[in-house]
Amino acid sequence: MNFELTEEQALLQAAVRDFTKSEVEPLAEKLDRDGLFPHDTMKKLAELDLTGIPYPAAYGGAGADYMSYAIVVEELAKSCASTAVVLAVHTLAGAPIYQFGTPDQKDKFLPMLTKYQVLGGFALTEPGAGTDAGALTTTATLDGDHYVINGTKTFITNGDKAGLMIVMARTGGEGTKGISAFIVEKAVSPFEVGKHEDKMGVRGSHTTELIFKNCRVPKENLLGKVGDGFKIAMATLDGGRVGISAQALGLAEACLEESVRYSKERVQFGKPIATKQAIQWMIADMAKDVAAAKHLVYNAASLKDQQKPFSMEAAIAKLFASETAMHHAVKAVQIQGGYGYIKGSKVERIFRDAKITEIYEGTSEVQRMVISGIALR
Amino acid sequence: MATIIACYKWVLDEQDIKINPGSLDLDTSRAKSKISDYDRNAIEEAVLQEEKTGAEVASLTFGNSKAKQSLKDALSRGPAKAYWVNDELADKADALVTANVLAAALKKIGQYDVILCGEGASDTYAQQVGPRIATLLGIPAITFVSEMKIESDKVIATRKIGDCTEEVSVSFPVVVTLLPEINKPRIPSLKQVLGAAKKPTTEWSIADLGLTTEEVTAKNKVKSIKGFVMSRKNVIYKEGTPTDKVASLVASLTKEGVL
Repeated sequence: MNFELTEEQALLQAAVRDFTKSEVEPLAEKLDRDGLFPHDTMKKLAELDLTGIPYPAAYGGAGADYMSYAIVVEELAKSCASTAVVLAVHTLAGAPIYQFGTPDQKDKFLPMLTKYQVLGGFALTEPGAGTDAGALTTTATLDGDHYVINGTKTFITNGDKAGLMIVMARTGGEGTKGISAFIVEKAVSPFEVGKHEDKMGVRGSHTTELIFKNCRVPKENLLGKVGDGFKIAMATLDGGRVGISAQALGLAEACLEESVRYSKERVQFGKPIATKQAIQWMIADMAKDVAAAKHLVYNAASLKDQQKPFSMEAAIAKLFASETAMHHAVKAVQIQGGYGYIKGSKVERIFRDAKITEIYEGTSEVQRMVISGIALR
Repeated sequence: MATIIACYKWVLDEQDIKINPGSLDLDTSRAKSKISDYDRNAIEEAVLQEEKTGAEVASLTFGNSKAKQSLKDALSRGPAKAYWVNDELADKADALVTANVLAAALKKIGQYDVILCGEGASDTYAQQVGPRIATLLGIPAITFVSEMKIESDKVIATRKIGDCTEEVSVSFPVVVTLLPEINKPRIPSLKQVLGAAKKPTTEWSIADLGLTTEEVTAKNKVKSIKGFVMSRKNVIYKEGTPTDKVASLVASLTKEGVL
């Protein structure tokens, strides 16, 4: 396997690094502190063709590969995990439309997302259906030319800002076969935004409850066939895991960069702490795990680009990268000691941001279920 | 419609260069390359003038085989085509050699109205290549330019010299060297990055330009390149009252001739 970046991917990486340095890093602390949604940054990302990276130009996308998408999310996350997840979920919302949508649905909805005319979201989780997504109870009932959706979704990223939401709702009996997927355009089919969650980390990305009360969705907005919803959701989450693994990779890389910088500058006992073996070993382990995570994330993205099966590899990448980010965020704070524990320190923010990567887009336990399920076949 | 050629140098990214603390030797083994920061201003200005006046823009560089990867980088920033003079001697070229090669390339291109250069390269910052090109081509040069516009067949430029500015108007063809404050180079979009591969590039050897190896061999030799470290005396005045400490500091500075 060779993950040498193509010339275009390397140029994109350099361009995004320039962008994050001037536009993302300076805002990251404020977004986190005040819980501000990075709307202006998203508009600028749209100007750089980065709000629809893996979708064809015919739908307003950049027509690039998934590897490029992973690189962008990784680079954003190095500076601001909130901005990275906002973009990742926005991009994710286009995936089921692109993969399962009719030509009309693609023509109508994909350009709205790729050109960032609306922000995208993905509504699967419910109060009683998290890891057990198949237990969801939101219903969609056919009434003439519309499906009428009723129910409550929870922990929905981009919930309050999204103008287009992919919503999973029950159209049939119990179990996963009774679930269907819908494209819900808020301007046409209004729904309410409920509780805003006051989160530990990724505070610049807004996570809310969504309340559907007789929300009438044109029946042509059904994605795939009736009963395909769970399959569509799982396929979408496979791709989503590559995005979140890239976010976790970026956070782990930021831990390494911050630790190297600080340990060279911080002098104790007359020498920089980088000269101490205790610090050197922590940094060596960070570098080792970052390198492994990078290969796993790029491998999953590459398999998706080659249209080969990648569910297991995406789960492995997501599991390893997220646990790497969390493990080394703890070490990065340790290296900076008291200074790393103070609000406003970058590693303190990373410490809180990293935790969510072990939870959303499937918990670490779900990743282990997916991996063992495929390994034990 | 004017033809603008933006010249650039493919340099090592200074952020990736490490200094060995003992020997002060530079470790460039893991350094990536980039378009010299000041030359990014030159490319950006060319593209801005294209947007304002419909000028045609091309990029031009002299570099070794590794500079091939600079072509898409340059093209993603807006020029319609790229010229590259490829020779391994570019690594050791000084300002005279570089100017000779670029001037020969410009003669071969034939059509140029405005030649834009950064005020200096971000590695050597010799500030010589632009004026030397102008001399070799027998055309005027405008240096230290902080603002410029193209009107008909003229460049009207504001030069920033010391604590005053000078506005000049020069007819085509002309070399203009730009200060970094003239613009903020934009970040290429993903479509521009992907579209760069579709733009035409031209590669020349020095022989194609009618130059000999001797003509592109620098006459000077670099004996060593070392990192610069500010040496400190690490003297701390701890004893006595604040007045005593200040008096000791002033006495030391006076003794060293600083005051």
